[in-house]
Amino acid sequence: MGPEFVKTVCPYCGSGCGLILMVRDGKVVGTYPDRFHPVSRGALCIKGWTAKEFIHHPDRLTAPLLKSGGRFKEISWDEAIGHMNERFDRTIAQYGAQAVGGLCSARCTNEENYLFQKLIRLGFGSNNVDHCARLCHGPTVAAMGRALGSGAMTNSIADFDGTECILAIGSNAAETFPVPMGELYRARERGARLIVVDPRTTEMAKNADSHLPLRPGTDIPLLNGMMSHILKCGLADQEYIDRRTEGFDQLVAYLKGWSPERAAEICGVAPDLIRQTAEIYARSRSAMVLFCMGITQHVCGTSNVFAVCDLALLCGHVGKDHSGICPLRGQCNVQGACDMGGLPAVLPGYQQVADIQKRNRFEAQWGAALPQTPGQTVTAAMAANDRQIRSVYVMGENPVMSDPNRSHTIEFLKNLDFLVVQDIFHTDTTRLADLVLPAACFAEKDGTFTNTERRVQLLRKAVDPPGQALDDYTILCRVARARGLDFTYADPSEVMDEIASLAPLYGGIRYGRLGSEGLQWPCPDYDHPGTPVLHREQFSRGQALFVVPEYSPPKEMPDERYPLVLITGRMFCHYHTGTMTRRSPFLDRETDRPFVEVHPRDASCRGICNGDAIRVTTRRGAIVTAARVTDRVGEGMIFASFHFSEAPADALTNDALDPISNVPEFKACAAEIVREAACPDH
Amino acid sequence: MLDTVRKIAKGLLGQGTMDGVLGLAVGDGGVSPRLFEDPGDLGSLSLASKWPLAKIAVTVLGQCPDAYRLAVVCRGCDERALIELGKRNRIDTRRLHVIGVACSGEQAERCLCQQPWPSRVDAGVRAQGADLSGNDQVRQYLDSDRGVRLEKWREAFSRCIKCYGCRNACPVCNCSPCRLEDGLWVNRGEIAPDMFSFHLTRAMHVADACVACGACQDACPVGIPLMLLQLPMRAELHRSYQYEAGTESERHSPLLSNYIDEPAGGISIPDWTDSLRKNHGS
Repeated sequence: MGPEFVKTVCPYCGSGCGLILMVRDGKVVGTYPDRFHPVSRGALCIKGWTAKEFIHHPDRLTAPLLKSGGRFKEISWDEAIGHMNERFDRTIAQYGAQAVGGLCSARCTNEENYLFQKLIRLGFGSNNVDHCARLCHGPTVAAMGRALGSGAMTNSIADFDGTECILAIGSNAAETFPVPMGELYRARERGARLIVVDPRTTEMAKNADSHLPLRPGTDIPLLNGMMSHILKCGLADQEYIDRRTEGFDQLVAYLKGWSPERAAEICGVAPDLIRQTAEIYARSRSAMVLFCMGITQHVCGTSNVFAVCDLALLCGHVGKDHSGICPLRGQCNVQGACDMGGLPAVLPGYQQVADIQKRNRFEAQWGAALPQTPGQTVTAAMAANDRQIRSVYVMGENPVMSDPNRSHTIEFLKNLDFLVVQDIFHTDTTRLADLVLPAACFAEKDGTFTNTERRVQLLRKAVDPPGQALDDYTILCRVARARGLDFTYADPSEVMDEIASLAPLYGGIRYGRLGSEGLQWPCPDYDHPGTPVLHREQFSRGQALFVVPEYSPPKEMPDERYPLVLITGRMFCHYHTGTMTRRSPFLDRETDRPFVEVHPRDASCRGICNGDAIRVTTRRGAIVTAARVTDRVGEGMIFASFHFSEAPADALTNDALDPISNVPEFKACAAEIVREAACPDH
Repeated sequence: MLDTVRKIAKGLLGQGTMDGVLGLAVGDGGVSPRLFEDPGDLGSLSLASKWPLAKIAVTVLGQCPDAYRLAVVCRGCDERALIELGKRNRIDTRRLHVIGVACSGEQAERCLCQQPWPSRVDAGVRAQGADLSGNDQVRQYLDSDRGVRLEKWREAFSRCIKCYGCRNACPVCNCSPCRLEDGLWVNRGEIAPDMFSFHLTRAMHVADACVACGACQDACPVGIPLMLLQLPMRAELHRSYQYEAGTESERHSPLLSNYIDEPAGGISIPDWTDSLRKNHGS
């Protein structure tokens, strides 16, 4: 009669905070923090507290929709599944399996992502499966995978408390990882020094002990300057280097050309500050380097991460308590989506598609042959002129809002023979689809998410999805069975059992073991307690590898026509493309209008006052938005968040890609702004 | 202690005196609040360390039919919060029944609690209230030079990520609409929110209703010592009016009832520290 309480995980960022939902009469009526959660410990951020607001929104998709004559009409599930299979078969017959692609979802469960890539590979015969990690931590997975053998955060969030030094490069955790930011503040209270490297004076930079406001896209010079100084002062941990690494000599030779003075010329940070920062990091007995989009979303993103790894290895700050390399994974389950093989070149558990032995093992278990050639990344496929991909299945992604160069993305999707999009709300991407499938949100299904510290946690179903919407697990099984595949599982826990049997990292994961704290992989068997800190005795590849980071400046530098650098990113009260947060009344009230941060001098010389409507233009397109005049950005740079579909930042961004990981350069392109009209509030 | 509470709850549900018992339960996902309605179901009842339930009780009552009678496993602070809410017509306390649980001395120390017991103790033993005079944090934030104190608080509030957790968790925080949201006193869409307009507004709004449950502080991700913010006001209300929120169900807050009848000495709030030293510990 009265309400129930269901324990689950927050659906927003990769912190994976514990969330308790109050449920009554099939509706979520309240959200509460989990006092005893290992990460969130009784706290939530503004988004976690309001996570229930979008669940029962009237905009929720409730029936499969087929586009006919430019409009959507409701059809049955059987019709929808039959239709999509027929269209995909048509594409395969005409162009081959490599013409089919799929985007899985960093917001769906591990089980769902696993089934998705299994469907694309077995059901369509294609390795063209990818997801939004391509836009964010693809470089991390590539670089750390190569340098250490594992692309994930090496330590746990709790490990920050007790470290002596936190070097944060390209992260604004105070706004994007708010609850773990508390852990960083706790560390500071216990004596840790927080150093923030960021072109902007973010909230995190303001509260740091030291802020290095480098020029956008100059991280490698800065890190090289630091490393060369560390070598020069004899502060490198030679014992650690000799015992645990290889490739040191190549790095030394490379760094000979990189004095702090040369670094300073490029990155704009004073040489003495570079030296001082290097010494603090190197001399600390323990140190955590934390990084995020600020360094990955560049054309040299992968190299940027190599440089970070090199610095940490140089000082012996990896593989110990309170010492490690910490990429903060953004989505609630982007770590999981990668772990589950939602990537074109790897199968679940990061086992290479090209590795015959590994492939055979999957084929034996799955009872069918697997495509042998690694697939295309989504960004490369979209950028390619030959348009190999003709039909696409999108699950829980909104590339029209999140991928760079919006007009190009729209053109690509419009030119497809067939596009089916599975989501909980209409988005700019569903509107282009031929078929839309209504899916379930986090509160409406069982499954697991893996947070940024590799913690696999249970979601518990609290309410039913609206109308005829189904959870993605059910949808995928039905689509697969309609294609003749044996996707028969009693429930998602059986899917995890299958995952455990194939992916050694998840070998010991079972629902019955996840309890209240989940388990951190690697967890190879049912007795294993999980792994808070990686690379303690050995790195995943044995010895760690120093890789010489190749620096390239941003592809598009400011010039006379476009004299400002545009940086895109996030703000605290909205999440990514805003499909959930813009529909949450509390969050929308907090910020309901798009804005772009402009430095006072850049504003004043253009006659722009705070709140004025401005047009922001790049070579890709233009948006009209409001100016927020602030010295959070430096002169010559502007900052736009990408949450607002009425002024989409990705209409402006450059689809120049990092050649190794294909991440787009969201963090630097050339722009100009011009005043359009007075602030509407006056 | 757990068995005692279980027995009481079972009796209340079994005899139909109460429709539900709100407490904590231990399940496969760990500890979580739970509304027990079946007397046979109390095996999972837990008295895990502090989890303020007053705010949840209010929501539960709001979600249930008007005739629903709710028992709540209450610590001292929970009960005081419910009494305050009753006084302000936010809940009908006649629908409530308190199962009183006393906190341990260690818990009182952790919460800086002076009165770690409910009005009637059904389970547990009254422990001594916390001694604030020796507390380091209290000293730093409330008992030093004004300039030093201001800096300390400014630094703490600069960490605020505007999660609204303090407001969401506070059981007596109840303005509708909430003044912190209206964009008039606090700029929207910016962090950290201004110290005076956000945090001190909130502190003043609950000044005479704060029952020192610490839910605000527990919900703060960045460790702002919010309990300490309310301490001086509670001390002053006690000193000038012998008033403590939540302890008397019939007596209204002096701030609401004393516009005409000022006490002889008047109320003065310049020196938090004096009031702290003299009166806390009683």
